Amino acid sequence: MSPDIGDEAVEIWFGPQHVSAHGWAAKLTVVGDYIVECDPHAGYFHRSAEKVLEFRTFKQGGLVLERMCMLEAFLAEYPYISAVEQIAGMEIPERAKVLRTIMMEASRIHSLQFWWGQLSAELGLFAMTLWPWVDREFFLDTFEELTGSRHAASFSTPGGIRYDFTDKVRQKLLRAIGRLESNLPKFKDMLLRSPTFKMRTKDVGLFNAEDGIKWGLSGPNIKSCGIPMDLRKDWPDPNLAYDLADWEVPVYENPEHPGQSDAYDRMVQRFMEIETSVSIIKQLLDQIPDGPIVDPKARAKANRLPAGEAYGRVEGTRGITTVWLKTQDKAQTPWRAKIRGPCFASYYSLKHMVPGSTFADFVVVFGSLDPYPGWWDR
Amino acid sequence: MSKLGVIKDILQVLRHIVRQVFSRPFTYFYPFEDREYPERTRGRHIHIRENCTACGQCVRACPVVAIRIDKSDRKYEKDAALYFDYSRCIFCGLCVDACRFDALYHTPVVDLSEGSRDELKYDPERIETIEREPLEWRGRRFR
Ligand code: SF4
Ligand code: SF4
Repeated sequence: MSPDIGDEAVEIWFGPQHVSAHGWAAKLTVVGDYIVECDPHAGYFHRSAEKVLEFRTFKQGGLVLERMCMLEAFLAEYPYISAVEQIAGMEIPERAKVLRTIMMEASRIHSLQFWWGQLSAELGLFAMTLWPWVDREFFLDTFEELTGSRHAASFSTPGGIRYDFTDKVRQKLLRAIGRLESNLPKFKDMLLRSPTFKMRTKDVGLFNAEDGIKWGLSGPNIKSCGIPMDLRKDWPDPNLAYDLADWEVPVYENPEHPGQSDAYDRMVQRFMEIETSVSIIKQLLDQIPDGPIVDPKARAKANRLPAGEAYGRVEGTRGITTVWLKTQDKAQTPWRAKIRGPCFASYYSLKHMVPGSTFADFVVVFGSLDPYPGWWDR
Repeated sequence: MSKLGVIKDILQVLRHIVRQVFSRPFTYFYPFEDREYPERTRGRHIHIRENCTACGQCVRACPVVAIRIDKSDRKYEKDAALYFDYSRCIFCGLCVDACRFDALYHTPVVDLSEGSRDELKYDPERIETIEREPLEWRGRRFR
């Protein structure tokens, strides 16, 4: 607590046992019902993933990465795999590129549906928690049909992908998307028009675009200020097939306060992200080329890598996710792998966003940034 | 928000409720009935010892050291005994990918719970057999 705060202030720990605080804790200084200081703490979810990576071979590394954030498993494992592919100089089959992209977008939708339900639960709107989660089951069914696992998919592998699309997978994916498309406008309309929802989210957790950039925010959090920052367009990955689809970076700028973003804007922004992902998947499903999904010779190269450095990146659900990988010659394991998770920045920006809001709004500000503890405790 | 909008929302919720009451539940009456698992389900393994060549690739591929190999145990010619520790296994499927002799597969059996950790350590005898058919409908269907 700063010394200039008066005697009436009370320090409260929010988490780590609180139901909304799964694996994190913030120290809040409150005066009455208002928060004057917020001190987020990391470390409650620490599994030393970066150290663990140094003892795993390159084929096994993706498994560690996907456990950083189980909700976006297809996206989370990709930066590491991409870094390995860059160091080994592998050629990825065209079919693998397209299938990777499709599943990454499906994973993004699934993660956003989960987040949307969770934020609604934190607001007390439980119908909006369970409805998207029913739709989410259909995506999980697709993942299970494709990879054999609902969450820990381990789909990508250095040199391609591990599981090929079948007709059944395609059917299930189309079914999941069809259901989402028919329900999304309804749910979106009901939620965004709801007076309770507006009251709880409008002008809550407001920040400027400049501040957001200074704090290192990325992904939907910064796009909701009106800044079209998206790695999928800005720095396209040659091993993904985003250029095959025709799409625009979804950017929402609220006319009420241009250049600023509150919890409501971030909600609208994420709905737009879902719509963009749906359109990308639908376009790519028609363009899956025939051919192999993995080149076994290329995959064998991952057993021993030459000395090198690479920077794998992906635009995750929550923002820019990267892995910096350094190897020594004939290495079986990385010399060092540094993970940059998107949520460290959004978690610590709570420090600036929260003071001034009421205690009840704290969960809303936190939830609207969509942070996942795995990404800041590495 | 207009009154009409509120009524519309209430009607929408009611419609949803009525539809859910009369539709089939998403859950299963589990111990008596089981759902159908996809072909690729990564459940517990089955080891086909006749095909095994004791190459040890599965042990090397495993990221969490869940497999132990006993090369001296020879039931068939050139085979090896595998011990699986399901308190460690993360069902990643790398061992199955690594086996080039069609000797190791996943089965769609995923309910492995046991009373103690020791019972989760499968000995070679147990990993070669499946106690029950994976897609069997056990008991009667409740709907
Ligand atoms: S499935 Fe994965 S964790 Fe389990 S035994 Fe095989 S390699 Fe090891
Ligand atoms: S199960 Fe397969 S990989 Fe493992 S020792 Fe036998 S042949 Fe080798």
